Amino acid sequence: MHTFQQQYWAIRDYISPVLKESKFKEHGRITPEEFVAAGDFLTYKFPVWQWEKGDASKARDYLPADKQYLVTRGVACLRRAQSLAYTDADEDAERLLSFGDPSSGLTDEWVETHAGRKDTADSAANPGEIDDIPDLDGDHDQLATAMGNVSLTSSAGATVGETPDIDDIPDMEEEGLEAGDDEATAGPPPKAGVLSSGGVIDASQVEAAKGNLLQVRTYDVMITYDKYYQTPRIWLNGYDENRNPLTPVQIFQDVSADHALKTVTIEAFPHSTTLQAASVHPCKHASVMKKVIERMNAGVEEQLAARKKDGSSKDSSSKKKWTFGRKGSKEDSSKDKSSANEEDEQPEAMRVDFYLVVFLKFIASIVPTIEVDSTTSF
Amino acid sequence: MPVVQFAPFSSLVQPGFWHELTRLKIDVLRLSDESLTVNGSYSVGRSVRDRETGQDVALGCNLVLGAAAFEQPSQVPPMSVAIRGVFKNYNTIEEFKVADKASIFNEVTNDMWNSIVESKDASKLTQFLLLTFSDLKKYQYYYWFAFPAFVAKPAWEISTEGWKAADHELNASQLTSIFESLHAQTKPFFLVKLTGDAAKVHPMDEADVFFASDSPDSTIVGFLDPSASPDNPGWPLRNLLTYLQTLYPSKTTSVRILCWRDGELPVAGRAWKSRFGVVASGGDRQTVKPTAVGWERHPTTNKLTARMADLAPMMDPTRLADQAV
Repeated sequence: MHTFQQQYWAIRDYISPVLKESKFKEHGRITPEEFVAAGDFLTYKFPVWQWEKGDASKARDYLPADKQYLVTRGVACLRRAQSLAYTDADEDAERLLSFGDPSSGLTDEWVETHAGRKDTADSAANPGEIDDIPDLDGDHDQLATAMGNVSLTSSAGATVGETPDIDDIPDMEEEGLEAGDDEATAGPPPKAGVLSSGGVIDASQVEAAKGNLLQVRTYDVMITYDKYYQTPRIWLNGYDENRNPLTPVQIFQDVSADHALKTVTIEAFPHSTTLQAASVHPCKHASVMKKVIERMNAGVEEQLAARKKDGSSKDSSSKKKWTFGRKGSKEDSSKDKSSANEEDEQPEAMRVDFYLVVFLKFIASIVPTIEVDSTTSF
Repeated sequence: MPVVQFAPFSSLVQPGFWHELTRLKIDVLRLSDESLTVNGSYSVGRSVRDRETGQDVALGCNLVLGAAAFEQPSQVPPMSVAIRGVFKNYNTIEEFKVADKASIFNEVTNDMWNSIVESKDASKLTQFLLLTFSDLKKYQYYYWFAFPAFVAKPAWEISTEGWKAADHELNASQLTSIFESLHAQTKPFFLVKLTGDAAKVHPMDEADVFFASDSPDSTIVGFLDPSASPDNPGWPLRNLLTYLQTLYPSKTTSVRILCWRDGELPVAGRAWKSRFGVVASGGDRQTVKPTAVGWERHPTTNKLTARMADLAPMMDPTRLADQAV
């Protein structure tokens, strides 16, 4: 626990000088230094996130060479955002609310907004998109079938003749081993909704839940620093349940209807020479983040006011209510040096190293079914 | 007693790998189809809780290949391990089809077998093989993975208790100390020695000393388990068991296995995900190389065939232009 605390202080030391010049409370924008600080905090607190250096030729000189962008891989996405949007019944609206983090009023509010907007999804406002998707789904099915036979019926005539019998790749001597192999190899999971004993179902197992198919996709999520907008920017790369890369259209199925093709587009990933990824355009990030920060700060001020009434002896009780407070180390320090560190003990406004944690909660409203926000336990 | 069924690896190739292969093919390899060494990785088996149904959904037993696969293995994150693979890219689809896959497969399994018999080296127990044909003009990549595993005859059997949660066998402080040890230095395979409430993790190299001196009840053989399926341990265990049976035949009448699946300490109210089971084999000491299996089956047809990644939607400039609004 001591090393934990030490590392925690180290990170605080690291970011503190930056904080003084910070403008993020006023604009919602952050400097590269603050991005690194917030990223350090995120990777430290939630080890699923990692720094990457990316392609050397694309390195940004205002960021440390080994801290160019953040990445988390294999983020689960159990359902399509579309299937949320299309369920119209009232009880579904209730269900949508539960997608937020119940411990934070803010998140609930965002999710409410999403629930309120869902009507537009199948109203006349969005006809093009709804028309598009079945078409493209069809394409996808065709692709899947084509891949099953590995015959390239959908592509140019030249290869059609050559490839159909790729299926006939000799199964080799393995054929002879089949019997022995079957015995000790776990077969594909049963397709019916049979639960295995531990209550864990396999990702590839299709399960009907309220008519929505459970198709587990996974996403690699990257956060880069956008120099122009001075905000973080999020990038998505997806895989379907068979681990094939997702097409743009499939990715848009996981974006809430309001954002697909508007704020979420496919663009060149800035830290690779060739890679394309879906990205949420950052032009509104700063203003949204500013609102969130203001709201959180307002909450803190209320707490401060309340604390003045209570007297400073009740420090820790007020802190517990604050979701973004520092928990363990804080209480330890109050034991050690309660009066000496008085100003440190004030519940303070949102610090910049929480920026990315909050940012992820905001992103979670744009991609409601991709569980980017692993920070709910925080 | 039921036969132990191992969850096979499933390959997950990040688009970055195909981009890197494209670059390498054009700028470096050109027409060469020599085998190369590539590096993949797997991590502890993960599952997510479905917020609607409250069930845990297992996320598959993935072997991941990324853009850095052709570079020297770099630092892998805690609770995942890097594994080495043999990579071969063919210039035409015909060559890809007629390639002598059995002999390439044999080369890999020979290497694995020799590392067991000659050097007692557990680090080569998990390897993979990747054959590709890249149709660069269409942004289509045909590929076939193999994850060679030796077949035990007779098969390994799990005790009548079956696989159970690790915290039924070990207490929380033992599990926590195993976690801390693995988190500091993640090993694909390890040995656990229990003394009272303490659990100490030893590297596989110490198996000689370990099996010579310790009573079977205080020793556990552990491995980082990429599977999250409750009744199926992951693929790496298969070769580990072959390793044990070959080198320590007298100890394999009953082996206590810990399938390590906890990537982080469980949050309050949630159980440990790791599994524990006692497996046994009636087989004799292996003296000749056992047969091996492990070609990846096509995920949709479940047949032994190659598969294809179609990256045209994400790479083809004309199709990307269509997407741009």
